[in-house]
Amino acid sequence: MLVVASLLVYGSLYLTPGGPLSFLVGNRSASPEVIASITAQYHLDDPFVVRYFAWMSDVLHGDLGRSLVYREAVTDLIASRLLTTFLLVSYATALIIVVGVGAGVVSAIRGGWAGRLVSTGSILFLATPAFVLGVVLILVFANGLGWFPVFGPGEGVIGRLWHLTLPAIALAMASAAYLARITRSAMVGELGREHVETAVSRGISQRSIIRRHVLRNASIPIVTVIGLTIGGLVAASVVVENVFALDGLGSLLVRAILQRDFAVVQAVVLLLVIVFVVVNLIVDLLYTVLDPRISLGGDS
Amino acid sequence: MTLHRNALIVGAVALSAALAACGGSGSSTPSSSATSTGGSVEFVSTTPAATGDIEAVSWNLPYEPTSIDPAYSFNYAENTVDANLCESLLRLNPDFSITPALAESFSHPTPTTWVYKLRQGVTFWDGSPMTAADVVFSLKRGADPDVGSYFGTYFANVKDIVATDSSTVTVTLNGPDALFNQAMSTAAGAIVQEAYTNSAGKDFGSPSKGVMCTGPFKFDSWKSGDRLVVTRNSAYWDAALRAKAATLTFRFISDETTAVNALRSGEIDGEFFYLPPAGINELKNSDTGTLYLGKSLVFWALVGASETGPYADPKVREGFSLAIDRPAVAKVVFQDTASPAKSLTDPAYFSYGAEVFQKAYDALPANNANFEEAKKLIAEAGGTSAGITIGVQGSSAVHEQTGSLLKAAGDALGVPVTIKTIPVDQYGAVYSDPKAREGLDAFLTTWYGNVPDPLDVYGLFTKGGFNNFNNYTAVDSAVAEARAIDDPAARAAKVADIMTQVTRDSPWTPLEVLPVLAYMNNKVTGATVSSAYLYYPWAAGLGKAG
Repeated sequence: MLVVASLLVYGSLYLTPGGPLSFLVGNRSASPEVIASITAQYHLDDPFVVRYFAWMSDVLHGDLGRSLVYREAVTDLIASRLLTTFLLVSYATALIIVVGVGAGVVSAIRGGWAGRLVSTGSILFLATPAFVLGVVLILVFANGLGWFPVFGPGEGVIGRLWHLTLPAIALAMASAAYLARITRSAMVGELGREHVETAVSRGISQRSIIRRHVLRNASIPIVTVIGLTIGGLVAASVVVENVFALDGLGSLLVRAILQRDFAVVQAVVLLLVIVFVVVNLIVDLLYTVLDPRISLGGDS
Repeated sequence: MTLHRNALIVGAVALSAALAACGGSGSSTPSSSATSTGGSVEFVSTTPAATGDIEAVSWNLPYEPTSIDPAYSFNYAENTVDANLCESLLRLNPDFSITPALAESFSHPTPTTWVYKLRQGVTFWDGSPMTAADVVFSLKRGADPDVGSYFGTYFANVKDIVATDSSTVTVTLNGPDALFNQAMSTAAGAIVQEAYTNSAGKDFGSPSKGVMCTGPFKFDSWKSGDRLVVTRNSAYWDAALRAKAATLTFRFISDETTAVNALRSGEIDGEFFYLPPAGINELKNSDTGTLYLGKSLVFWALVGASETGPYADPKVREGFSLAIDRPAVAKVVFQDTASPAKSLTDPAYFSYGAEVFQKAYDALPANNANFEEAKKLIAEAGGTSAGITIGVQGSSAVHEQTGSLLKAAGDALGVPVTIKTIPVDQYGAVYSDPKAREGLDAFLTTWYGNVPDPLDVYGLFTKGGFNNFNNYTAVDSAVAEARAIDDPAARAAKVADIMTQVTRDSPWTPLEVLPVLAYMNNKVTGATVSSAYLYYPWAAGLGKAG
């Protein structure tokens, strides 16, 4: 799976119109020296298979190439941004799960005003773009109340968590709203099932019913959505990174695409693919835990 | 009860719908407080002197520098940093006068030689002395086509650079060149250490290696994407410019709104804006800081980019120029921080031959909007249904708003205008690469002469000149002649004529004169705010206020 993905990532350079050299040179005029150095860096004179294996072995040795724009090793560029993005995405994921599942469960069980509040709230947050939310958060909580800093990723564990709180909220709310609605409808679906009715008529406590009969069964779609959401968070983080001046992988990727800095694009995309594959693997494993009827490699 | 609750929900939804609907770019609140100046605003060169030293200052750059190698420092962020690190043979002062720096004196014994006597006792940050060999090495870098210095055109007439003794360097030219010595006060004449530059190789000027120079601040560290830190050089030779700040940290917030918020909250102490950000009124009205308008050589222009197409016709260009209400642009688009321009070089450039230039300048047409005349010119040009494409930079309210005005002007004149928004990360390529300009008839830009000599601006209009985007050649020989006239008084007359002709033909249409917009938190003061900040160590005087 990873091998196929890496082939696609590497091969995409050669699918560009005009061939790899014209793409890499792109917006820039190229003197013969520049052309020679690009040809050497990307081994453009060798056959495809040789080039692919050269790249793969470089990657496995930790050499991701050199950025044409920053004139630095790509590994250095990524390393300094990896922590920021990792913390931001993890923090946002935690918020999405806690707020999303929590709100969904509460609105499914309680109904009434709580249900309406969550419904309305989720519409509001689904419709609000992340950068608008980010700017509002800055105006109210950073400039206004002064509880949080305006920009930057911060230093040290506490510092970073403090700096990343507003960005994580801005990033998380739309996905949390979506998860809340999914959770709510999955729960409501389960609450209507016969075995739940049976359990209620048998007098089992509501807490126990929710935990063992409803939530467990509703969790398949919930876990699926969480997995897909995490996959998309790095890309979604670009806008939030811009508003809060966090230099993370998302901004690096967008800038590199615009500037035709292909070694950087290749490396970041490969990293994203790996993350996505790992997250989906975890989700698949969770399925087997949550539903004994599903087994790895089975035909569910 | 139910009615109230539902009403509340509906109200909340309506409010949030309004919020969700504002997904557009930051809106600029119209300037209600600023008095409309109509005429000229007083621009300053310096700010009140600091009262004492300060431990740490943070300063924001509009984008992260691509390099701090002086040979490649030819743009706002790069020079903002580099001016405090690397010094040149001569110094361009805040008032645009030129005085000796690393060269303690210079002489011009023949029309084609310049002799620089080097200052003794100057050391690089690592303690080693600055030698004539380092000076020769640095100047030769500027002239070397393999290095490809962005200041290369200033070295076009250099024949030879030699250390005539251990403290003297002589530059021999192929012919007299009025711009060469002046350029030695900019980063073109920056002196770097030969040994360090050679050992750093292609990493020189990058985050890993930085530079090795002689300035009042020394390079400390550069974490790409995060910050660039410079610290006071305690062994600096010029006591008058000893750095008052122990540590100066540069940040790279490129989003205008975030930068303005960071300045207002005090998390960043200052910034130079080369175009007014959307939130400029918040900065003007802020109680925690002050906005200064600095005397400047920078101007806002619509630059012709193609040798073919409707815009290549001078009548069409003049027509467009007459359809633009410059005072309105200054008031609305620039929110009262610009003033209408009648030529590319306004009086700030007249450092020599002032009377001659002023007379020619006063004789230029006023450039007031004249719509009838504009329509007449377009008709004379043959009318045109063929449209023109104008490039503007993304992420900039000023670019986009000026673009909209040009489109409206075009619509009214019957010339369809397409505005092409080019992302800010790609805009640099428009200047350096003909391929990036393909399809563009014109684009908007700020521009500036490096030295206070109108020839530095008009000198780009040579045949095949790198920056002569639409290959306007009418003044090509006049420019070559003028550049060879060493005597300022004699040169003034010739350059004034060039100014008149270029203004008439308008290959580049001057729109506004742009002051430097310098914001400083009230706890610091002392920065230089004229556009000399690009080459003068503007942060040396930056220290504690009050």
